[in-house]
Amino acid sequence: MKHLPALVVLLLAPVAGLCAPAGPGSGPRLAALSSAAPRTGFEIDALLEHLARPAPSSTPFLEAHFSALLIRPLVVGGTLEYLGPGSLARTVTEPYHERAEVRGDTVTLERDGEPAQQFSLDRVPALRSLLASFTALLGGNVAALERQFRLDLHGDAARWTLGLTPRDPQIHQRIRAITVSGSGFDLRCLTTFQANGDVTVTLVSAAARARLPAAPDRAWFAAECRGSHARTGEP
Amino acid sequence: MTRRSRTAVLAIIWAGLVGLAAAYIHATLRVSGDLRLFLPSPQTRAERLILDEVSEGPASRLLMVALHGAPAAELAETSLKLAQALRADPSFELVTNGANQLSAIPPALLPYRYLLSPTLDHHRLDASYLHAELIEREHDLASPAASLLESWLPSDPTLETLKVLDSWEPPHEPRLLDGVWFDAGGNEALLVIETAAAAFDPRAQRAAMHALEERFAAVRASPAVALTVTGPGAFSVLMQNRSEADARLAGILDTLGMAALMLLAYRRWWYVLLGALPLATAGIAALAAVTALFGTVHGITIAFGFTLIGVAIDYPIFVFSHERPGVPAIDTARSIWRTLAIAVVGLCIAYLAFALSGVRGLEQLACFNVAGLAAAGLSTRYLIPRLLPPGARDYGESRLPSRLAAFAARIPRTRWLAPGLLSLSLAVLIVGRSPLWENDLSRLTPVPQSLLREYASLQHELGQPDVRYLVAVSGSTAEQVLSREERLRAGLAQLVADKAVSGFDDAARYLPSAQTQRRRRAALPSSAALRRALRTALRGTDFRPGLFAPFQKDVARARKLAPLTPSNIAGTPLELTIGSLLVHLDGGWTGVVTFTDVRNPSAIERLAAASGIPARLLDLKQASEELVAHQRTRILWSMTAAAALLALVVYASLRSMRRAFVVLTPMALTMLLTLAALHAAGVELNLFHLIALALAAGLGLDYALFFERSSREPAGRRRTLHALLVCATAACMVFAVLASSALPVLRSIGVTVVLGVIGNFSLALVLIGSQETLACSDTTTSPR
Repeated sequence: MKHLPALVVLLLAPVAGLCAPAGPGSGPRLAALSSAAPRTGFEIDALLEHLARPAPSSTPFLEAHFSALLIRPLVVGGTLEYLGPGSLARTVTEPYHERAEVRGDTVTLERDGEPAQQFSLDRVPALRSLLASFTALLGGNVAALERQFRLDLHGDAARWTLGLTPRDPQIHQRIRAITVSGSGFDLRCLTTFQANGDVTVTLVSAAARARLPAAPDRAWFAAECRGSHARTGEP
Repeated sequence: MTRRSRTAVLAIIWAGLVGLAAAYIHATLRVSGDLRLFLPSPQTRAERLILDEVSEGPASRLLMVALHGAPAAELAETSLKLAQALRADPSFELVTNGANQLSAIPPALLPYRYLLSPTLDHHRLDASYLHAELIEREHDLASPAASLLESWLPSDPTLETLKVLDSWEPPHEPRLLDGVWFDAGGNEALLVIETAAAAFDPRAQRAAMHALEERFAAVRASPAVALTVTGPGAFSVLMQNRSEADARLAGILDTLGMAALMLLAYRRWWYVLLGALPLATAGIAALAAVTALFGTVHGITIAFGFTLIGVAIDYPIFVFSHERPGVPAIDTARSIWRTLAIAVVGLCIAYLAFALSGVRGLEQLACFNVAGLAAAGLSTRYLIPRLLPPGARDYGESRLPSRLAAFAARIPRTRWLAPGLLSLSLAVLIVGRSPLWENDLSRLTPVPQSLLREYASLQHELGQPDVRYLVAVSGSTAEQVLSREERLRAGLAQLVADKAVSGFDDAARYLPSAQTQRRRRAALPSSAALRRALRTALRGTDFRPGLFAPFQKDVARARKLAPLTPSNIAGTPLELTIGSLLVHLDGGWTGVVTFTDVRNPSAIERLAAASGIPARLLDLKQASEELVAHQRTRILWSMTAAAALLALVVYASLRSMRRAFVVLTPMALTMLLTLAALHAAGVELNLFHLIALALAAGLGLDYALFFERSSREPAGRRRTLHALLVCATAACMVFAVLASSALPVLRSIGVTVVLGVIGNFSLALVLIGSQETLACSDTTTSPR
């Protein structure tokens, strides 16, 4: 089986997730952001500059998929790694094993009990440019990011949300918007809103370590994104 | 009626006849560019297949298009719009640019996915297989892949549609950028277009190219976007444009040169016009005859035909140069008519031999020449003299012929000249190291190397099949061929694994045999069994209950489908693909297996031989070379027969073996000498050289006959010399212009004729002169 186009899309999440490594220096940088003037173009620049990460870095992730086909969300967890410009890996460890890796133009996918599959990113051009934009996000390349998305920043330094709306109509056909939320210089979560109504929420960094309730729902994930549970101490 | 009014009536009748013929030609003539007209009829099914592949196979109709010169986004946009515009144009059958790959399965074929996909060869749609697949789908959904797959899952949880698409995918696809094919460097957007017309139908190809350029101009994203088109059809249009431009230039130069030469030789402008009359009449008569007999005329017939009847330019010159002061032109014409008639009739009969060659193009050529030469001869005899005033001067008394006659008389005579030249040329032909014959069929329309390189690189980028090697699988029915191809597939896959080839393509890839489809259909579960299996399979998954009702419905439908066959795929994109890979020929069927990047042809050959089915490797290059060789053999036999007939006619009309020998020797020697000279220069001979040699021989016959005729009378000999000087100069001038062309075809004709004319003239002058002394001594020693 080589369900190429479909599987390439797996790579969207890893790229996004890598925006959120835990950093020891978040305290002082948070102070820097707080002292900056709120709600200006400069704010986005400053935020993106501080979200940029050197390779390699990695973070745990916890991801939920809400689909009209399913009676409950699919939740998977694992590790996301940024291996350098254009190179990313997403390893799912719970509840099954799967590793997807992009290096240059080639995507390699391994699942338990199946031979590794390789295919070219060329098959899904929309994702190639999406991937490039996330590399831009990780590399702190604001100009490149703005070419691909309309950006708008809400909230304050303690709890912010960056909205990304794809400019490319081809990508917009599939993905309406992506929101990146966090507090200070810590990225907590990415939410992908698909054109068909499906939603994917990826918790990263500290947020990915949250303990899952027995039946996690949209509300629980939304609260995790905002960091409400952490702040109130609720599970 | 006065002489004057009779002349006027004659001129009007003649003009009317020519005009009628021209109108008839205009209304009826269809020019074809089908190369097969000039090839011998194929004898075997393999030869038929090769001819089809070469002249109108899909590979020959493919145009590869590169868009470049602008940013990728603009190129991609242009590519999408161009493809859309071309798909609406009936000149193009298939337009691919990499876009819309996922929706490539037409809705009408979707229900057949369970018969087309190999899944059921290895699995049953039972509870355990379905459960494993559903778990996989959950994993797929746990990724943004969901947005691509979700809409299919309810009807196709095992993703058969994707599997069918995967199996239909070309072995090598160019990279996609912005949704369309690009070259590896990302600088050129690529498209593959199949024209409806065959590659060697220049008119239709030109229309297609024109449509392509027009649509491109209308849709391009910015003026910076440039278009490059390559492929056999584009080449044939380009080469035709070039040869037409060259030929047109040559025509203008020749007309001016001829006019100047005639003015110089006869000092009267009236002669210039009259000199062109027989040739014009010949051209019109020849075209009319071919149109009436054949309806469709090959473009090459017309080009060759006009080359060959060029000999008719000599006929009025003979009349002009043989004028004597005070003698009516009609008497002059009558006095040379016997010799001229031998020349005309001899050539006409010789060309009849072409009619027996079995090559349709040559039959047309024979008809063209016989009609043209007869018309030229008759108009020279019966029309020209009546339009000429009585002779005013004796051209034999001009300075040049007198000096040349004196010079020729001083040339030392030797009996060893002819045998010497004969052995010299034979020695060159036998000892020469370079190959004597050019066998490459593609040289018929020679394409510049730079264009061929561009073609090869685009072909590589696009992963187009190798045009040289094919495996032909034959059978009595399409079904038999398909099941034989299925048996071959394991071996072919092994070839790919062994890197003997990098990919292959055959009809069975798209359309399994009906037997295989029936077997898969039989493996589909009943509705009740599927319902039970699905219920078990869904346990432990999170899919919504009832989600897969469309899947159950599709399986139930597939159980009732009749297998897809070549006859019921009409109107689907599969029809085109299958149509080019599965051919109905001579009451049987032939499947074509194509390859990409053939590295080890002998491995393919071994596989075909060991397969136990009627499959064999065809090397199109070798086969087309054999066809060319085969064609040449026929042409050579025709020319030999023509030469023998010509010798007989000359002998019969001169009624003397010795005189016939004298006339034919310079011509035969010149032919050998020309061949030897070309061979010594390293030229590989082709069809064009042979045609040019035939023309040179025709001219040589004229020269020899007239020299021989006048050999007994010095004044007449000087007049003949004048005529032949004008003739030879004219021929050399006309063909020297062709010889200077950059196009190999025109150059080979030009060089050959110039060599032939020089050889024929000088040898006739020298050799027939020497016979004259013999003839004189004959008359002195044996009184009559």
